[in-house]
Amino acid sequence: MTSFNDTRHLWALGAFLAAVGLVGMVVRRELVPDDFGRTGPYRASALDDIAARPSLFQADATCHACHESVEHERAGTLHESVRCAHCHGHAVEHVATARRAAEDPSITLPPAAEWDGDFLTNIDLYVTKDRAICLSCHKAVVGMPADFKKIDVALHLEEQGASEPLAKETCFECHGGHDTAP
Amino acid sequence: MSLFELPILPMSATSAAGGCASGGCATGGCASGGCSTARPDQASETSRREFLKTATTLTLGAMSLTLLPGAMAGDESSSAATPPGGGHPPAKKPMYGFLIDTTKCTGAGKCLTACRVENSVPEGQARTWVERYVHFKDGRVEVELVPEIGYAASGEPQPEAEDVLRAYFVPKLCNQCVDAPCNQVCPVHASIKSPEGIELVDADRCIGCGYCVQACPYGIRYMNHETNVADKCNWCYHRVMRNEQPACVEACPTGARVFGRIDDPDSEISKRLATLPTGVLRQHLGTLPLTRYVGLTDEVT
Repeated sequence: MTSFNDTRHLWALGAFLAAVGLVGMVVRRELVPDDFGRTGPYRASALDDIAARPSLFQADATCHACHESVEHERAGTLHESVRCAHCHGHAVEHVATARRAAEDPSITLPPAAEWDGDFLTNIDLYVTKDRAICLSCHKAVVGMPADFKKIDVALHLEEQGASEPLAKETCFECHGGHDTAP
Repeated sequence: MSLFELPILPMSATSAAGGCASGGCATGGCASGGCSTARPDQASETSRREFLKTATTLTLGAMSLTLLPGAMAGDESSSAATPPGGGHPPAKKPMYGFLIDTTKCTGAGKCLTACRVENSVPEGQARTWVERYVHFKDGRVEVELVPEIGYAASGEPQPEAEDVLRAYFVPKLCNQCVDAPCNQVCPVHASIKSPEGIELVDADRCIGCGYCVQACPYGIRYMNHETNVADKCNWCYHRVMRNEQPACVEACPTGARVFGRIDDPDSEISKRLATLPTGVLRQHLGTLPLTRYVGLTDEVT
Protein backbone atom coordinates (compact mmCIF):
# COMPACT_ATOMS: atom_id res chain seq x y z
CA MET A 1 0.00 0.00 0.00
CA THR A 2 1.28 3.44 -0.82
CA SER A 3 1.09 5.89 2.06
CA PHE A 4 -0.45 9.34 1.83
CA ASN A 5 2.08 12.09 2.23
CA ASP A 6 -0.39 14.84 1.59
CA THR A 7 -3.00 14.84 4.40
CA ARG A 8 -4.36 18.18 3.18
CA HIS A 9 -6.68 16.29 0.82
CA LEU A 10 -8.11 14.27 3.69
CA TRP A 11 -8.85 17.39 5.71
CA ALA A 12 -10.51 19.01 2.70
CA LEU A 13 -12.62 15.93 2.14
CA GLY A 14 -13.58 15.80 5.81
CA ALA A 15 -14.55 19.46 5.85
CA PHE A 16 -16.58 19.03 2.68
CA LEU A 17 -18.48 16.04 4.09
CA ALA A 18 -19.12 17.85 7.36
CA ALA A 19 -20.53 20.83 5.45
CA VAL A 20 -22.78 18.58 3.39
CA GLY A 21 -23.97 16.85 6.55
CA LEU A 22 -24.70 20.16 8.26
CA VAL A 23 -26.64 21.50 5.28
CA GLY A 24 -28.54 18.21 5.14
CA MET A 25 -29.51 18.47 8.79
CA VAL A 26 -30.74 22.05 8.39
CA VAL A 27 -32.76 21.18 5.26
CA ARG A 28 -34.25 18.14 6.99
CA ARG A 29 -35.26 20.15 10.03
CA GLU A 30 -36.99 22.67 7.75
CA LEU A 31 -38.82 20.09 5.62
CA VAL A 32 -39.95 17.55 8.21
CA PRO A 33 -43.04 18.70 10.15
CA ASP A 34 -42.59 19.15 13.90
CA ASP A 35 -45.12 16.51 14.85
CA PHE A 36 -43.87 13.98 12.34
CA GLY A 37 -43.51 10.47 13.75
CA ARG A 38 -45.23 11.13 17.08
CA THR A 39 -47.85 8.40 16.57
CA GLY A 40 -46.44 6.72 13.48
CA PRO A 41 -44.56 7.45 10.27
CA TYR A 42 -46.77 10.41 9.35
CA ARG A 43 -47.70 13.97 10.37
CA ALA A 44 -49.60 13.37 13.61
CA SER A 45 -51.81 16.48 13.32
CA ALA A 46 -53.10 15.23 9.94
CA LEU A 47 -55.37 12.86 11.87
CA ASP A 48 -56.98 15.81 13.65
CA ASP A 49 -57.21 17.77 10.39
CA ILE A 50 -59.10 14.96 8.68
CA ALA A 51 -61.29 14.26 11.72
CA ALA A 52 -62.26 17.95 11.86
CA ARG A 53 -64.09 17.86 8.51
CA PRO A 54 -67.81 18.53 8.86
CA SER A 55 -70.40 15.77 8.50
CA LEU A 56 -72.40 16.94 5.49
CA PHE A 57 -74.69 14.00 4.82
CA GLN A 58 -77.45 14.39 7.40
CA ALA A 59 -78.59 11.37 9.32
CA ASP A 60 -82.33 11.09 9.96
CA ALA A 61 -81.70 11.84 13.62
CA THR A 62 -80.62 15.33 12.59
CA CYS A 63 -83.92 15.91 10.75
CA HIS A 64 -86.02 14.35 13.49
CA ALA A 65 -84.47 16.66 16.08
CA CYS A 66 -86.75 19.39 14.68
CA HIS A 67 -89.34 17.46 12.68
CA GLU A 68 -90.57 15.25 15.51
CA SER A 69 -93.99 14.52 13.99
CA VAL A 70 -92.36 12.98 10.92
CA GLU A 71 -90.42 10.59 13.11
CA HIS A 72 -93.68 9.34 14.62
CA GLU A 73 -95.32 9.07 11.22
CA ARG A 74 -92.50 6.97 9.86
CA ALA A 75 -91.87 4.77 12.89
CA GLY A 76 -92.61 1.13 12.15
CA THR A 77 -93.44 1.66 8.45
CA LEU A 78 -91.77 -0.27 5.65
CA HIS A 79 -89.83 2.83 4.69
CA GLU A 80 -88.26 3.55 8.03
CA SER A 81 -84.86 2.70 6.56
CA VAL A 82 -85.31 5.18 3.69
CA ARG A 83 -83.44 8.34 4.56
CA CYS A 84 -85.03 11.78 4.57
CA ALA A 85 -82.32 12.86 2.12
CA HIS A 86 -83.48 10.40 -0.54
CA CYS A 87 -86.79 12.20 -1.09
CA HIS A 88 -86.02 15.71 0.16
CA GLY A 89 -82.48 16.45 -0.96
CA HIS A 90 -79.34 16.53 1.12
CA ALA A 91 -80.32 19.76 2.88
CA VAL A 92 -76.78 20.71 3.81
CA GLU A 93 -77.63 24.44 3.68
CA HIS A 94 -80.97 23.88 5.37
CA VAL A 95 -79.41 22.20 8.39
CA ALA A 96 -76.61 24.75 8.63
CA THR A 97 -79.15 27.60 8.53
CA ALA A 98 -81.39 25.85 11.05
CA ARG A 99 -78.48 25.49 13.47
CA ARG A 100 -77.65 29.17 13.12
CA ALA A 101 -81.34 30.04 13.56
CA ALA A 102 -81.43 28.13 16.83
CA GLU A 103 -78.99 30.67 18.25
CA ASP A 104 -80.16 33.74 16.37
CA PRO A 105 -83.99 33.95 16.16
CA SER A 106 -83.82 36.70 13.52
CA ILE A 107 -82.78 34.11 10.91
CA THR A 108 -85.72 32.59 9.06
CA LEU A 109 -85.54 29.33 7.16
CA PRO A 110 -86.39 29.49 3.47
CA PRO A 111 -89.21 27.14 2.41
CA ALA A 112 -88.49 23.94 0.54
CA ALA A 113 -88.49 24.22 -3.24
CA GLU A 114 -90.29 22.06 -5.77
CA TRP A 115 -88.10 19.24 -7.08
CA ASP A 116 -86.75 19.83 -10.58
CA GLY A 117 -86.74 16.14 -11.51
CA ASP A 118 -82.93 15.85 -11.54
CA PHE A 119 -81.43 13.26 -9.20
CA LEU A 120 -78.14 15.14 -9.01
CA THR A 121 -80.02 18.35 -8.35
CA ASN A 122 -78.43 21.38 -6.76
CA ILE A 123 -81.66 22.20 -4.95
CA ASP A 124 -80.80 21.93 -1.29
CA LEU A 125 -84.21 21.00 0.11
CA TYR A 126 -87.25 20.04 -1.91
CA VAL A 127 -90.71 18.54 -1.63
CA THR A 128 -92.27 16.41 -4.32
CA LYS A 129 -94.86 13.79 -4.95
CA ASP A 130 -93.29 12.82 -8.25
CA ARG A 131 -93.47 9.08 -8.71
CA ALA A 132 -89.95 9.16 -10.20
CA ILE A 133 -88.71 9.37 -6.60
CA CYS A 134 -90.48 6.10 -5.74
CA LEU A 135 -89.37 4.42 -8.96
CA SER A 136 -85.72 5.39 -8.43
CA CYS A 137 -85.66 2.45 -6.03
CA HIS A 138 -88.65 0.33 -7.01
CA LYS A 139 -88.56 0.18 -10.81
CA ALA A 140 -87.66 -3.39 -11.77
CA VAL A 141 -83.99 -3.63 -12.80
CA VAL A 142 -82.01 -6.77 -13.68
CA GLY A 143 -79.88 -7.68 -10.68
CA MET A 144 -82.23 -6.73 -7.87
CA PRO A 145 -82.66 -9.22 -5.03
CA ALA A 146 -85.65 -11.52 -5.54
CA ASP A 147 -87.38 -10.41 -2.34
CA PHE A 148 -87.19 -6.70 -3.13
CA LYS A 149 -90.50 -5.06 -4.13
CA LYS A 150 -90.26 -4.31 -7.85
CA ILE A 151 -92.89 -2.23 -9.61
CA ASP A 152 -93.83 -2.20 -13.28
CA VAL A 153 -96.09 0.85 -13.25
CA ALA A 154 -98.32 -0.10 -16.20
CA LEU A 155 -98.81 -3.64 -14.90
CA HIS A 156 -99.38 -2.48 -11.34
CA LEU A 157 -102.06 0.02 -12.38
CA GLU A 158 -103.75 -2.56 -14.53
CA GLU A 159 -103.93 -4.87 -11.53
CA GLN A 160 -105.42 -2.06 -9.49
CA GLY A 161 -108.04 -1.35 -12.14
CA ALA A 162 -106.62 1.97 -13.26
CA SER A 163 -105.39 2.86 -16.71
CA GLU A 164 -102.86 5.25 -18.15
CA PRO A 165 -102.31 8.18 -18.60
CA LEU A 166 -100.96 8.71 -15.14
CA ALA A 167 -100.52 11.75 -13.01
CA LYS A 168 -97.06 12.24 -11.59
CA GLU A 169 -98.49 12.00 -8.08
CA THR A 170 -100.10 8.62 -8.76
CA CYS A 171 -98.22 6.62 -6.09
CA PHE A 172 -99.23 8.92 -3.25
CA GLU A 173 -102.96 8.54 -3.94
CA CYS A 174 -102.89 5.04 -2.47
CA HIS A 175 -99.62 4.72 -0.58
CA GLY A 176 -99.39 7.89 1.44
CA GLY A 177 -96.27 9.91 2.15
CA HIS A 178 -94.28 9.50 5.35
CA ASP A 179 -96.64 6.81 6.62
CA THR A 180 -96.18 4.69 3.50
CA ALA A 181 -98.62 1.82 3.33
CA PRO A 182 -97.58 -1.31 1.39
CA MET B 1 -9.26 -19.16 -7.00
CA SER B 2 -11.65 -16.59 -5.65
CA LEU B 3 -14.78 -15.43 -7.37
CA PHE B 4 -13.29 -12.06 -8.16
CA GLU B 5 -10.59 -13.44 -10.37
CA LEU B 6 -12.99 -15.03 -12.79
CA PRO B 7 -14.01 -12.02 -14.91
CA ILE B 8 -10.39 -11.00 -15.43
CA LEU B 9 -9.09 -14.22 -16.94
CA PRO B 10 -11.51 -14.49 -19.86
CA MET B 11 -10.94 -10.81 -20.63
CA SER B 12 -7.20 -11.21 -20.98
CA ALA B 13 -7.70 -14.42 -22.90
CA THR B 14 -9.94 -12.73 -25.44
CA SER B 15 -7.70 -9.72 -25.75
CA ALA B 16 -4.75 -11.96 -26.46
CA ALA B 17 -6.45 -14.38 -28.80
CA GLY B 18 -9.26 -12.65 -30.65
CA GLY B 19 -9.60 -9.00 -29.68
CA CYS B 20 -6.18 -7.82 -30.82
CA ALA B 21 -4.25 -8.08 -34.00
CA SER B 22 -1.00 -10.05 -34.04
CA GLY B 23 1.84 -8.23 -32.34
CA GLY B 24 -0.04 -7.10 -29.23
CA CYS B 25 -2.85 -5.08 -27.87
CA ALA B 26 -2.56 -1.40 -27.10
CA THR B 27 -5.85 -1.01 -25.29
CA GLY B 28 -6.49 -1.42 -21.60
CA GLY B 29 -3.01 -0.52 -20.45
CA CYS B 30 -1.62 -3.98 -21.23
CA ALA B 31 1.68 -4.45 -22.92
CA SER B 32 1.92 -7.01 -25.67
CA GLY B 33 2.14 -10.49 -24.28
CA GLY B 34 -0.44 -10.09 -21.54
CA CYS B 35 -1.53 -8.03 -18.59
CA SER B 36 0.38 -7.76 -15.36
CA THR B 37 -2.86 -8.03 -13.38
CA ALA B 38 -3.39 -11.56 -14.59
CA ARG B 39 -0.12 -12.80 -13.11
CA PRO B 40 -0.27 -14.21 -9.60
CA ASP B 41 3.50 -13.93 -9.12
CA GLN B 42 3.34 -10.11 -9.15
CA ALA B 43 0.75 -9.88 -6.40
CA SER B 44 3.21 -8.33 -3.94
CA GLU B 45 2.56 -4.90 -5.44
CA THR B 46 -0.80 -3.10 -5.24
CA SER B 47 -2.45 -4.67 -8.24
CA ARG B 48 -5.95 -4.33 -9.52
CA ARG B 49 -6.75 -7.69 -7.96
CA GLU B 50 -5.47 -6.56 -4.56
CA PHE B 51 -7.50 -3.39 -4.80
CA LEU B 52 -10.64 -5.28 -5.72
CA LYS B 53 -10.14 -7.72 -2.85
CA THR B 54 -9.67 -4.94 -0.30
CA ALA B 55 -12.56 -2.89 -1.64
CA THR B 56 -14.87 -5.89 -1.68
CA THR B 57 -13.96 -6.87 1.87
CA LEU B 58 -14.55 -3.32 3.10
CA THR B 59 -17.84 -3.00 1.20
CA LEU B 60 -19.17 -6.32 2.46
CA GLY B 61 -18.05 -5.42 5.96
CA ALA B 62 -19.84 -2.07 5.80
CA MET B 63 -22.96 -3.71 4.38
CA SER B 64 -23.04 -6.29 7.15
CA LEU B 65 -22.82 -3.46 9.70
CA THR B 66 -25.99 -1.86 8.35
CA LEU B 67 -27.86 -5.09 9.00
CA LEU B 68 -27.03 -5.02 12.70
CA PRO B 69 -29.30 -2.16 13.92
CA GLY B 70 -32.26 -3.66 12.05
CA ALA B 71 -31.68 -7.05 13.61
CA MET B 72 -31.33 -5.53 17.07
CA ALA B 73 -34.38 -3.27 16.69
CA GLY B 74 -36.40 -6.23 15.51
CA ASP B 75 -36.14 -7.83 18.93
CA GLU B 76 -37.77 -4.98 20.80
CA SER B 77 -40.27 -3.37 18.42
CA SER B 78 -41.61 -5.95 15.98
CA SER B 79 -42.27 -8.84 18.30
CA ALA B 80 -45.88 -8.99 16.99
CA ALA B 81 -46.62 -11.61 14.36
CA THR B 82 -45.61 -10.48 10.89
CA PRO B 83 -48.41 -10.88 8.34
CA PRO B 84 -47.90 -13.37 5.52
CA GLY B 85 -45.71 -11.97 2.82
CA GLY B 86 -43.33 -10.44 5.34
CA GLY B 87 -44.72 -6.90 5.00
CA HIS B 88 -44.85 -4.20 7.62
CA PRO B 89 -46.63 -5.44 10.71
CA PRO B 90 -49.82 -3.54 11.56
CA ALA B 91 -49.41 -0.77 14.10
CA LYS B 92 -52.33 -1.99 16.18
CA LYS B 93 -55.14 -4.47 15.97
CA PRO B 94 -57.81 -3.13 13.57
CA MET B 95 -60.85 -1.67 15.33
CA TYR B 96 -63.35 -1.22 12.53
CA GLY B 97 -64.71 -3.43 9.82
CA PHE B 98 -66.99 -3.07 6.80
CA LEU B 99 -69.38 -5.73 5.53
CA ILE B 100 -71.03 -5.61 2.11
CA ASP B 101 -73.98 -7.87 1.50
CA THR B 102 -74.31 -8.22 -2.26
CA THR B 103 -77.55 -10.16 -1.79
CA LYS B 104 -79.21 -7.00 -0.43
CA CYS B 105 -77.94 -4.33 -2.81
CA THR B 106 -80.62 -3.07 -5.21
CA GLY B 107 -78.36 -0.79 -7.24
CA ALA B 108 -80.34 2.36 -6.46
CA GLY B 109 -77.12 4.34 -6.05
CA LYS B 110 -78.21 6.26 -2.96
CA CYS B 111 -74.82 5.55 -1.35
CA LEU B 112 -73.01 7.15 -4.29
CA THR B 113 -74.64 10.57 -4.06
CA ALA B 114 -74.31 10.47 -0.28
CA CYS B 115 -70.55 9.92 -0.62
CA ARG B 116 -70.23 12.69 -3.20
CA VAL B 117 -72.04 15.15 -0.94
CA GLU B 118 -70.18 14.09 2.17
CA ASN B 119 -66.65 14.15 0.77
CA SER B 120 -66.99 16.80 -1.98
CA VAL B 121 -65.85 14.30 -4.62
CA PRO B 122 -65.55 16.02 -8.04
CA GLU B 123 -67.84 15.06 -10.91
CA GLY B 124 -66.54 12.13 -12.90
CA GLN B 125 -64.59 10.65 -10.00
CA ALA B 126 -65.73 8.46 -7.15
CA ARG B 127 -64.60 7.10 -3.81
CA THR B 128 -67.15 4.30 -4.03
CA TRP B 129 -69.07 2.78 -6.89
CA VAL B 130 -71.41 -0.10 -7.64
CA GLU B 131 -70.81 -2.74 -10.30
CA ARG B 132 -73.47 -4.95 -11.83
CA TYR B 133 -72.55 -8.50 -12.81
CA VAL B 134 -74.93 -10.11 -15.28
CA HIS B 135 -74.49 -13.80 -16.04
CA PHE B 136 -76.32 -14.62 -19.30
CA LYS B 137 -77.70 -18.01 -20.13
CA ASP B 138 -75.28 -18.34 -23.06
CA GLY B 139 -72.31 -18.15 -20.67
CA ARG B 140 -71.37 -14.51 -21.13
CA VAL B 141 -70.72 -12.37 -18.05
CA GLU B 142 -71.16 -8.63 -18.36
CA VAL B 143 -69.79 -6.21 -15.78
CA GLU B 144 -70.98 -2.62 -15.87
CA LEU B 145 -70.80 0.44 -13.71
CA VAL B 146 -74.17 1.32 -12.19
CA PRO B 147 -75.12 4.94 -12.96
CA GLU B 148 -74.98 7.19 -9.92
CA ILE B 149 -78.71 7.91 -10.13
CA GLY B 150 -79.53 4.21 -10.58
CA TYR B 151 -80.69 2.36 -13.68
CA ALA B 152 -84.34 3.29 -13.13
CA ALA B 153 -83.72 7.03 -13.34
CA SER B 154 -81.01 6.90 -16.00
CA GLY B 155 -83.24 4.93 -18.39
CA GLU B 156 -80.32 2.90 -19.75
CA PRO B 157 -81.40 -0.07 -21.86
CA GLN B 158 -81.65 -3.22 -19.76
CA PRO B 159 -80.83 -6.78 -20.80
CA GLU B 160 -83.84 -9.00 -21.45
CA ALA B 161 -84.77 -10.74 -18.20
CA GLU B 162 -85.29 -14.09 -19.93
CA ASP B 163 -81.67 -14.07 -21.24
CA VAL B 164 -80.27 -13.59 -17.76
CA LEU B 165 -79.28 -16.53 -15.60
CA ARG B 166 -78.47 -14.44 -12.55
CA ALA B 167 -77.40 -10.91 -11.78
CA TYR B 168 -76.26 -9.02 -8.72
CA PHE B 169 -74.80 -5.70 -7.64
CA VAL B 170 -71.40 -5.37 -5.97
CA PRO B 171 -70.57 -2.08 -4.22
CA LYS B 172 -66.87 -1.25 -4.14
CA LEU B 173 -65.03 0.94 -1.68
CA CYS B 174 -61.65 1.04 0.06
CA ASN B 175 -60.71 -2.39 1.39
CA GLN B 176 -58.62 -0.81 4.17
CA CYS B 177 -55.94 -3.46 3.79
CA VAL B 178 -54.03 -4.26 6.95
CA ASP B 179 -50.93 -4.63 4.76
CA ALA B 180 -51.74 -1.84 2.32
CA PRO B 181 -49.60 -1.60 -0.83
CA CYS B 182 -50.66 2.02 -1.35
CA ASN B 183 -49.30 2.99 2.04
CA GLN B 184 -45.91 1.45 1.42
CA VAL B 185 -45.07 3.32 -1.78
CA CYS B 186 -45.71 6.88 -0.60
CA PRO B 187 -42.38 8.76 -0.79
CA VAL B 188 -43.43 11.59 1.55
CA HIS B 189 -45.40 9.70 4.21
CA ALA B 190 -48.68 11.28 3.16
CA SER B 191 -50.31 7.86 3.31
CA ILE B 192 -51.41 7.29 6.88
CA LYS B 193 -52.46 4.11 8.59
CA SER B 194 -54.34 5.64 11.49
CA PRO B 195 -54.13 4.07 14.96
CA GLU B 196 -57.69 2.85 14.31
CA GLY B 197 -56.45 0.96 11.26
CA ILE B 198 -58.02 3.28 8.66
CA GLU B 199 -55.95 4.31 5.66
CA LEU B 200 -55.95 8.09 5.17
CA VAL B 201 -54.42 10.66 2.81
CA ASP B 202 -52.68 13.69 4.29
CA ALA B 203 -53.76 16.09 1.54
CA ASP B 204 -51.46 18.85 2.84
CA ARG B 205 -48.40 16.64 2.59
CA CYS B 206 -49.25 14.74 -0.63
CA ILE B 207 -47.15 15.87 -3.58
CA GLY B 208 -49.44 14.26 -6.15
CA CYS B 209 -46.89 11.83 -7.61
CA GLY B 210 -49.57 9.18 -8.08
CA TYR B 211 -47.51 6.16 -6.96
CA CYS B 212 -50.24 5.10 -4.54
CA VAL B 213 -52.87 5.29 -7.28
CA GLN B 214 -50.78 2.81 -9.26
CA ALA B 215 -50.06 0.65 -6.24
CA CYS B 216 -53.65 0.00 -5.14
CA PRO B 217 -54.61 -3.38 -6.61
CA TYR B 218 -58.31 -2.50 -6.27
CA GLY B 219 -58.22 0.81 -8.14
CA ILE B 220 -59.67 2.68 -5.19
CA ARG B 221 -57.28 5.62 -5.13
CA TYR B 222 -57.55 8.41 -7.68
CA MET B 223 -55.96 11.77 -8.35
CA ASN B 224 -58.53 14.35 -7.35
CA HIS B 225 -58.54 16.64 -10.36
CA GLU B 226 -59.63 19.64 -8.32
CA THR B 227 -56.94 19.44 -5.65
CA ASN B 228 -54.36 17.50 -7.71
CA VAL B 229 -53.50 15.23 -4.80
CA ALA B 230 -54.34 11.59 -4.16
CA ASP B 231 -57.76 10.90 -2.70
CA LYS B 232 -59.52 7.78 -1.54
CA CYS B 233 -62.35 6.34 0.50
CA ASN B 234 -61.44 6.61 4.17
CA TRP B 235 -64.62 5.08 5.56
CA CYS B 236 -65.65 8.68 6.44
CA TYR B 237 -62.98 8.85 9.15
CA HIS B 238 -64.29 12.23 10.33
CA ARG B 239 -67.79 10.80 10.88
CA VAL B 240 -66.50 7.63 12.50
CA MET B 241 -64.44 9.67 14.98
CA ARG B 242 -67.74 11.31 16.06
CA ASN B 243 -69.42 7.93 16.47
CA GLU B 244 -71.43 8.44 13.30
CA GLN B 245 -71.80 5.92 10.49
CA PRO B 246 -70.02 6.49 7.16
CA ALA B 247 -72.25 8.43 4.73
CA CYS B 248 -72.79 5.48 2.38
CA VAL B 249 -73.84 3.22 5.27
CA GLU B 250 -76.16 5.92 6.57
CA ALA B 251 -77.69 6.28 3.11
CA CYS B 252 -78.21 2.60 2.25
CA PRO B 253 -81.95 1.81 2.60
CA THR B 254 -81.55 -1.98 2.37
CA GLY B 255 -78.73 -2.65 4.84
CA ALA B 256 -76.32 -3.84 2.16
CA ARG B 257 -73.53 -1.85 3.82
CA VAL B 258 -72.70 -2.51 7.45
CA PHE B 259 -69.98 -0.71 9.37
CA GLY B 260 -68.88 -1.12 12.96
CA ARG B 261 -66.41 -2.25 15.56
CA ILE B 262 -64.98 -5.66 14.88
CA ASP B 263 -63.14 -5.68 18.19
CA ASP B 264 -66.52 -5.61 19.96
CA PRO B 265 -68.22 -9.03 19.75
CA ASP B 266 -71.63 -7.47 20.49
CA SER B 267 -71.66 -5.03 17.55
CA GLU B 268 -73.97 -5.71 14.61
CA ILE B 269 -71.09 -6.29 12.21
CA SER B 270 -69.40 -8.77 14.54
CA LYS B 271 -72.63 -10.73 14.87
CA ARG B 272 -73.19 -10.78 11.12
CA LEU B 273 -69.56 -11.71 10.42
CA ALA B 274 -69.95 -14.56 12.89
CA THR B 275 -73.02 -15.98 11.14
CA LEU B 276 -72.54 -15.16 7.44
CA PRO B 277 -70.04 -16.72 5.03
CA THR B 278 -67.86 -13.82 3.91
CA GLY B 279 -64.85 -13.32 1.71
CA VAL B 280 -62.45 -10.61 0.65
CA LEU B 281 -61.45 -9.33 -2.79
CA ARG B 282 -58.23 -10.73 -4.28
CA GLN B 283 -57.23 -12.68 -1.22
CA HIS B 284 -54.24 -14.14 -3.07
CA LEU B 285 -52.52 -10.74 -2.94
CA GLY B 286 -52.10 -11.04 0.81
CA THR B 287 -53.17 -7.45 1.49
CA LEU B 288 -55.52 -8.57 4.31
CA PRO B 289 -58.56 -6.38 3.49
CA LEU B 290 -60.92 -5.36 6.30
CA THR B 291 -63.85 -4.90 3.89
CA ARG B 292 -65.62 -8.24 3.68
CA TYR B 293 -68.28 -9.35 1.20
CA VAL B 294 -71.24 -11.69 1.39
CA GLY B 295 -72.06 -13.48 -1.86
CA LEU B 296 -68.81 -13.10 -3.77
CA THR B 297 -68.38 -15.04 -7.01
CA ASP B 298 -65.16 -15.81 -8.88
CA GLU B 299 -65.96 -13.07 -11.38
CA VAL B 300 -65.76 -10.34 -8.76
CA THR B 301 -62.22 -9.06 -8.22
